[in-house]
Amino acid sequence: MKALFFTAFALYGVAVILEFAGTAFKKEKLLKTAWYVFLAAFAVHSVFIITRGIAAKRLPLSNQFEFANAFAWGVALMLIVMRPRLKSDWLSVAAMPAALLVMTYAALQPMEIHDLMPALRSAWFGVHIGSAVLSYSAFVLAGCVGLRYLLMARKENADEHALAQMDYISYRLVAFGFLFLTVVILSGAIWAEQAWSSFWTWDPKEVWALITWIIYAVYLHLRLRMKRRGKAMAWFLVIAVPIVFFTFAGVNTLMHGLHTYG
Amino acid sequence: MGKVFQTLRSMRFGILLLCLIAACSVAGTLIPQDREIAWYAQNYPSLHGTILTLQLNRVFDSWYFKTLLVLLCLNLSLCSLVRIRGVVRAAKSETARAAEMKDAVLLTPEGVEKLRARLEEMRCRREDLGGASVYRKNRLGHYGTFITHLSILLTVVFGALALYTPTVTDQSCMPGESIFLPDGTEIHVLDFRITDETGRLDYQSRVQITLPDGRRSEEAELRVNHPFSFGPCKLFQQTFGTAGSVTVTNLENGGTDNFLLTEQAFLSADGVNGILYEMLYPDFLRDPSGNVTLITITEGSYPNPIYRFEVIADGDFAPTLAEPGEELELKGLRFAFNKPVEYPGLRIKHVSTVFNALLIASFTMMIAGLCITFFFEPVLVRTDAEGYAVGGPKPERMRIELGEEFRAYERTKGEETT
Ligand code: HEM
Repeated sequence: MKALFFTAFALYGVAVILEFAGTAFKKEKLLKTAWYVFLAAFAVHSVFIITRGIAAKRLPLSNQFEFANAFAWGVALMLIVMRPRLKSDWLSVAAMPAALLVMTYAALQPMEIHDLMPALRSAWFGVHIGSAVLSYSAFVLAGCVGLRYLLMARKENADEHALAQMDYISYRLVAFGFLFLTVVILSGAIWAEQAWSSFWTWDPKEVWALITWIIYAVYLHLRLRMKRRGKAMAWFLVIAVPIVFFTFAGVNTLMHGLHTYG
Repeated sequence: MGKVFQTLRSMRFGILLLCLIAACSVAGTLIPQDREIAWYAQNYPSLHGTILTLQLNRVFDSWYFKTLLVLLCLNLSLCSLVRIRGVVRAAKSETARAAEMKDAVLLTPEGVEKLRARLEEMRCRREDLGGASVYRKNRLGHYGTFITHLSILLTVVFGALALYTPTVTDQSCMPGESIFLPDGTEIHVLDFRITDETGRLDYQSRVQITLPDGRRSEEAELRVNHPFSFGPCKLFQQTFGTAGSVTVTNLENGGTDNFLLTEQAFLSADGVNGILYEMLYPDFLRDPSGNVTLITITEGSYPNPIYRFEVIADGDFAPTLAEPGEELELKGLRFAFNKPVEYPGLRIKHVSTVFNALLIASFTMMIAGLCITFFFEPVLVRTDAEGYAVGGPKPERMRIELGEEFRAYERTKGEETT
């Protein structure tokens, strides 16, 4: 089964290299090939997730490896869903390496399948962690769109329509991610009350999810109410990505709390 | 006064409060919370004074953090209350106002026709006003942010009530025995077992609750993640322990007593001779020459338990070990060391079901509010024979979509393009 994971990992790597080469040398064919390799990587990755779920007899979302693996899959899925809507492949230059980066983090984690500990055996498990995968993936992709926006906006004759569209798409991604992060926090609270007897324990993971939520709430207000658009908001999204990564991996690695399940 | 009110209800102030809450939260996770004061002195030799003065050792309980939360509630309620009338008015008059918009994009007649067909296809409602048609959809979307903010406010309020009003006690109880709470509630533990069917330990108690008014619950199973509620009493499977079990028989009159021991105890008939129970070890190793090494750490059930106690006879102390099943006779008493008994540590919470229900309702409202905000964006498009304009509180999406779809039909004044 590990072979499936590493095949997907390698294919993502090849896709990234081809994408960079295609962009640097402006070769359409290379870019097309990169996209097909990426789709192949995603297919293998999906098969890996399904087989792991069958082998573990549960959703494969329980430890850092499985979560990171699903997170990378979520980023890839979101890229595949969003790309046709943007009618261009510029998103891939930023999003493919993002998927590969998360995949690399997954590859560095212990991969053994473990049974769920009692505290994780709950109907809320899938809702809580599945929503986290969707939410983090959307935020990462929003950051990629932001990055691409900044690169495009540097050009003198940048296409205003494309920029406005990118700005809007990144906002929609944040909205989607924000909704799911809210689901993560609220379902986590209900679950915590069942497992630990308290809705909220100020556990570092909870607190960092709240911090991330606040950061994106600030983004939504700046954009919607204060009508902030353009470069400043794109910078906001790019800078927020490391915070999402910290909430996802940094808290578990550097801080001790109830969410340290190994 | 007006200025203070203005500030208190402004969104800028709201954002400032959110940023301050986030900043305090960062500090609250970087500095370990609620440790002994000496711990801070040891780990932050030059900073511990500042940490204690600024209450950075208990940020989430500090006066300033609570003040920020209260101010946020105030800000949210004022902001929502002040805005709601405007929102209702805007929602009600949106069609009339849209009818007054000027065309922002000019289209060819074919383009206008196609646009109308497209808007019908999107199931927009059409109203003809003053020579123009106004297409609208998702009026509910106007209320999305109000519902969201109200639900956040309710979540903070009911969350605080659900967190701080319950009384919580942790108690252990031997199987077959009961815990009696001060209000007269009885929690009877029928049995307890540790299972490891899946390779990970699980703990299960069977319990029954009797409320002070005499109502008695069914026998229920209690596990991690599966608490049991009856009336205001909610039970959680919290921890477990293993107790030594010693049966003492008086050899003269045949009377017996069974003791379940979790701490040091002196078992004696005359107060002078007997055994001083020290503890039960989960495991031990015995080397070929008979020396025993006691093992203290284990997870779950004790695999190979052994009792350790002092035999006290006529003022002499003799440290002794006994495995379950062994017996010892001393001055007319027989001590039988039984199989240890596993018992649960229960968390007993007296909750207000009303606050909990209101909190869950606020959660649901928040999700609904966000869905309405993000996925029911009000659509308002005015068209006439010349072209169209997009209005409403969130015109962006429609502008981009229609702009793209009908770009080919756009024209400038006096000119026609295909
Ligand atoms: C506690 C965290 C908060 C969250 C999660 C939150 C969430 C939101 C969301 C999701 C939106 C809609 C954004 C969109 O449509 O894309 C919004 C809009 C808005 N928020 Fe907040 N909000 C919060 C706090 C506040 C505070 C403290 C204020 C201060 C008064 C405020 C004032 C506003 C205003 C005025 C709007 C625009 C509403 C409109 O034009 O319909 N929010 N907020």
